[in-house]
Amino acid sequence: MTVLPRLHFYVEKATRFFALLGGVMLIILAILTILSVIGRTINAYGLGPIQGDFELVENGTAFVVFCCLPYCQIHFGHVSVDIISRTFPKWLSYIISVISQLGMMVIAVIITRQLYYGMMDKYLWGETTFILALPAWWGYAAALPASALWVVSCLFASLLIITSNHDESAAQ
Amino acid sequence: MSSFEIGLYALPVMLVLILARIPIMLSMLAVGIIGQYLILGNWTPFFAQMKTVTYSTFSNYSLSVIPMFLLMGQFASRGGMSKALFHVAKTFVGHRRGGLAQAAIVACGGFGAICGSSLATAATMGQVALPELKKHGYSDKLSTAVLAAGGTLGVLIPPSVVLVIYAILTEQNIAKLFIAAFIPGFLAILGYMITISVLAPIWEKDEVPAARAPLRKRLSALYSIWPVITIFLLVIGGIYLGWFTPTEGAAVGAGATGLYAFWTGGLNRDSFQDAILETALSTAMIFAILLGAAVFNSFLAFSRVPFEAASFINDLNANPWFILGVILILYLILGCFMDSLSMIILTIPVFFPVFQTLDFGMSPEDAALWFGVLVLIVVEVGLITPPVGMNLFVINKLAKDVPLSESFRGALPFVASDLIRVVILTAFPAITLFAVHLLF
Repeated sequence: MTVLPRLHFYVEKATRFFALLGGVMLIILAILTILSVIGRTINAYGLGPIQGDFELVENGTAFVVFCCLPYCQIHFGHVSVDIISRTFPKWLSYIISVISQLGMMVIAVIITRQLYYGMMDKYLWGETTFILALPAWWGYAAALPASALWVVSCLFASLLIITSNHDESAAQ
Repeated sequence: MSSFEIGLYALPVMLVLILARIPIMLSMLAVGIIGQYLILGNWTPFFAQMKTVTYSTFSNYSLSVIPMFLLMGQFASRGGMSKALFHVAKTFVGHRRGGLAQAAIVACGGFGAICGSSLATAATMGQVALPELKKHGYSDKLSTAVLAAGGTLGVLIPPSVVLVIYAILTEQNIAKLFIAAFIPGFLAILGYMITISVLAPIWEKDEVPAARAPLRKRLSALYSIWPVITIFLLVIGGIYLGWFTPTEGAAVGAGATGLYAFWTGGLNRDSFQDAILETALSTAMIFAILLGAAVFNSFLAFSRVPFEAASFINDLNANPWFILGVILILYLILGCFMDSLSMIILTIPVFFPVFQTLDFGMSPEDAALWFGVLVLIVVEVGLITPPVGMNLFVINKLAKDVPLSESFRGALPFVASDLIRVVILTAFPAITLFAVHLLF
């Protein structure tokens, strides 16, 4: 039982790192956008907007969101409605919590697996972005590590719930 | 079972899952996935869809405005602007009966102009205003209720994350929705101030109003909030004038509030990390629900339920005002259990097509803007009603010694003020649409 909490500690650290990475990316996107707006405003003076800024923001945002998912998962940040469940007996509450976490894990596994196949499709078809003509699979590839960590954080969130004999509120 | 029947049964099943405390995102995904399987008879389309739907939902340009606005709100909370805003409001109305509570409302409104989230507004202004209110002899009941109600102004006054989501789901112009929400937002401030001036003489026997501030002091206080005014005008004005897209406006706002917070010393290494982690948590939560909605809605489209529901309502030939009333009341009831964003994402795909079939004698765009503002208000009421009033929970964390039931009781007059506003805005769409027609 001492291994699990320690592993959980490291997984939490990793999710924190990815969330911060996503935050840094978000700030980079904001700066890029501001520069592009400035460039567009003073277009007349030989400067211009950043080429393909929309594409960069789109793909960057996807990266940001994927980076945020593991952190949200391990801190039980997904919203649920606990108004009626407060009256549930303890065992039912426990079962629902376990089902929720395992269900999340199934979803995370499917999403990560299909993200990989989606990446392979984009790679094989040689699809590129509209303006910058960047390979479309890059965005998918960049999101994969975060998505994989999401699966791991789902696993640890589930283990925490299962071993704690409690629901999310107690596990936190 | 026909696909329509499957769609029809899916809705109560999902409701049961959600009420059983299954995360909303998971409930939508599970019902959407299984429903699609039942209609199509095999898993292939689902797995094919999952190859791209996640990435394309997360990389949607219009949605990129959400993390930017969230980041802007986080920076604004740490920039010390809340203190300046409360101080200004205090010099103007603090000497009146119930004046400090009114000042807290005005300051929340001002903060709402640079922050698009209710919880952040309630938490930020609560930290500043609660101790002051206590010092001036306000009861816990009123002071916690005032800040919880004031927090809703974070979303009611644009920019507003809820309006952004509504605009994306219904394909409306975000700038027009922001402008439409303005006068109703001012009415909210006014309504809360009137509520306080009615309550103060009854509830507050020990209240000590602040000293009356001379004009010179008021003006110098007003000068101190120039960053708030500048950022607000830049972001909203820029989006309105077409200088930038909403995402660009939010990026500019996040940059400006970030720089200001950094300059005032509100952002050091720790608080910067906190700001990012808070943004990450909300971003993941919102996009997870949006992903659930993407899958669920494509299932709903297969089942034709929104279409059939709309044509059913149309065939009823009922009074459109009656249907609108039913929808708004449904939102008020749902709001007692759910947070506003999940509610909007969950219900708009069904309710909006229904609403569109109703004839109120105005253009479809006007109707959509008006409906958006009405929905925004009714879902925000849920933040201060028992049993799940998120704003009251947030304030309760700041004022730990106050029993929650006390705050809920204090919030009831503000709920009443909200309801009166909804009735007025429903009866007179012109109040909402006036500014839009004037400016566009």
